[in-house]
Amino acid sequence: MKPIGRFVLVLSAMAACFWPSPQHAQESPRPPITPDTIERGHAFFADNCGICHGLDAHGGDKAPDLNTGHFKHATSDEDLFRVITHGIPGTIMPANDLPPEQIWAIIAYLRSTVVADKLSTGGDKDKGKQLFWGAGKCSDCHMVNGKGGVLGPDLSDIGATRTIKYRDPSKELTTGFHEPNADYVVPISNSTVTLITKQGERITGVPKNEDTFSIQLLGTDNEIHNFLKKDLKDVIHEQKSLMPVYTEKQLEDSSLKDLLAYLASLRGGSN
Amino acid sequence: MTRRRTAVLLSLILQCGMLAVWPLLASADGRNWVTYAGTEAGWHYSKLDQINTQNVDHLVLKWVFQIGDLGKFEATPLERDGVMYGTGQNNRAFALDARTGKAIWRYAPSNLPADLRLCCGTVNRGFAIQGTRLFMATLDAHVIAMDTRTGNVLWNTKAADYKLGYSFTLAPLIVKDKVIVGVSGGEYPIRGFIDAYYIDTGKRAWRFETIPAPGEPRHESWSGDSWKIGGAPAWMTGAYDPELNLIYWPTGNPAPSNYGGQRKGDNLYSNSMLAMNPDTGRLKWFFQFTPHDLWDHDATETPVLIDGMWHGKRRKLLLQANRNAFFYVLDRETGQFLSAKPFAEQNWASEITAQGRPVFNPASIPTKKSIRVCPGALGAVNWNPPSYSPATRLFYVNARENDCTIFTGGPETPTKGQFFFGSSFSPPYNEQGWGVLRAIDPASGDVKWGFKMYSVAWAGVLSTSGDLVFTGDMEGNLMAFNGNTGENLWHFQTGSPVFAAPMSYEFEGKQYIVIAAGSGLFAFGLPDAN
Repeated sequence: MKPIGRFVLVLSAMAACFWPSPQHAQESPRPPITPDTIERGHAFFADNCGICHGLDAHGGDKAPDLNTGHFKHATSDEDLFRVITHGIPGTIMPANDLPPEQIWAIIAYLRSTVVADKLSTGGDKDKGKQLFWGAGKCSDCHMVNGKGGVLGPDLSDIGATRTIKYRDPSKELTTGFHEPNADYVVPISNSTVTLITKQGERITGVPKNEDTFSIQLLGTDNEIHNFLKKDLKDVIHEQKSLMPVYTEKQLEDSSLKDLLAYLASLRGGSN
Repeated sequence: MTRRRTAVLLSLILQCGMLAVWPLLASADGRNWVTYAGTEAGWHYSKLDQINTQNVDHLVLKWVFQIGDLGKFEATPLERDGVMYGTGQNNRAFALDARTGKAIWRYAPSNLPADLRLCCGTVNRGFAIQGTRLFMATLDAHVIAMDTRTGNVLWNTKAADYKLGYSFTLAPLIVKDKVIVGVSGGEYPIRGFIDAYYIDTGKRAWRFETIPAPGEPRHESWSGDSWKIGGAPAWMTGAYDPELNLIYWPTGNPAPSNYGGQRKGDNLYSNSMLAMNPDTGRLKWFFQFTPHDLWDHDATETPVLIDGMWHGKRRKLLLQANRNAFFYVLDRETGQFLSAKPFAEQNWASEITAQGRPVFNPASIPTKKSIRVCPGALGAVNWNPPSYSPATRLFYVNARENDCTIFTGGPETPTKGQFFFGSSFSPPYNEQGWGVLRAIDPASGDVKWGFKMYSVAWAGVLSTSGDLVFTGDMEGNLMAFNGNTGENLWHFQTGSPVFAAPMSYEFEGKQYIVIAAGSGLFAFGLPDAN
């Protein structure tokens, strides 16, 4: 499913499951944090937030990883309280009508997930930046703050929305560079589709939208290709990313750490 | 139309197959659409055939009405003598000129609370109509009557306290002098009910609590005090058989939906079909599809009433494509179980016994260890209504495939007015579900054809005597199919996911097909002759 289709589907799924009305952020006193609070917070989180953010808050293709210690829409715990109760306008994050005690427990849990050195790779972020925009050719496909390619996801705020342990805590993002398809489930919006025209022409790219009758593809030629399916010989879906595999020969360990340090520094806005 | 209808009747008489069907229960006049399902028998079927398999690809958009609200537009409007009456998001309502889509009046409640307890959006599925009165059941658990000419509120009766988790989303059903509604709220610690109100006064005529209190029969199907908060809502419109004077009302999940340790027993009358006397609310029989449900498999899907030959004997039947993935046939006079056959992939039941009782697959029982169950929490079909066509003698349903859920269940302390699931649940990361519009032969339960869609569909189905089947998808298409073959004959991009069941009516000799999508109500017809 594509961004539009997926967005509405997710929106509807969200609406289907969680659509309580907004509650004013209640400045209720925060209860003391204990291991029990954190455990209960984890359970409340899984019940109320897990469907989008993942049961352990490692993110899903609907909502970001919340283990980073950095939140796009919140800095303080009070900000988090407000975001949880009011939702985030313009996104699928809904308002949540939960008792304050549960919200504070969820916040305690989220804070507890942050491991201090998760983003500290030991790499040199300036070197990583050079690699990103130069020999690594990352910017051929990825955009950061308005510059770069269009085929891959925009990475302007990747440091605020992902951790190195994104999604599956047993896997490291570093592994993902070497085997981008082996360890991570590729969201359909980043998957690969090849269209075969009736004349036998092959067009490969990422699907921007699709339904039973038509497909809208951003090709590896960076052009948009719109087709009715009845005019195509075949539509081949592959659950793999167009992200190339970087072998250790191409991206040695120290360079990888530099690159990760650069990515971790990207928090949106100007750089 | 006459010739076609004669041909249909003739074929019914000639084809003495296992299941012959008499279209006795269809509404008398095929031009209007005056109940949620078009008929009291739950068919979602139109007798009109001006639009048919030969010309459906010429359909054009006639008008669009914008309701002016966001959220899911799940309603099916009514039409009577050139005026359309509809509801929508946040209990908005309207009357339209059915030729032009121009509003005659609009209604928006001024007093809808901000802290509603809803599971699934600010939805409403439609009006019921009788004489100059319209009836709507509201998100804050009231039932209101309105004047058809002005939208003025005639009476407004509170059925329950919304703060405890009660709400209404369904279109009411009118039987004689009463308007009948069932409550939503199975996601909260509530005790479900079905209510009847006098249409003249709004006074409550009877209430049937879907969970028996101590001393009442089958109370023992709940352990401890779990009956007090055991859910069993009744959130979709039932059907009515005037000959038997019975209403058939389906019920939803026990609460908490995904953990059974706190409510040992069969949890009656959750996930059941209830046959009741509409005058008194007295239960005649019940059949429970999923006893002690652990997967949110509400049985609230539309009951479809047909009369036919069943293994050589003429019987009054009730069909239901259940959220639990089985297609059921019951005898609607007695409640006797006749058959159940899966219409979608499932792994929760290892078999259905000869008495109709499922045997749970032990690997599908939610525990603290996460397990994957199909169909998942959203079911093999959800509330979106199926359709039955006496012309093709097929039952059409939008099945959900590969739409599974990871459940992680455990005890949960209920809090009044707060969600009560007993489990966390999430879709499997690496799986993508899809929808299949399926045509089922009720006699055998066999699937005659299927049309695979790009994703799971939430739209209801309409069939017509033009041998057409209409439904919508999440990518915004309204689609028409040949009801006999499943061939896709036409589609139109509405620009928004379709969450409603289509309807059809005829006015001034022209047939219309209407569907709600996004914030709009779209009406289609054949091009005017120049």
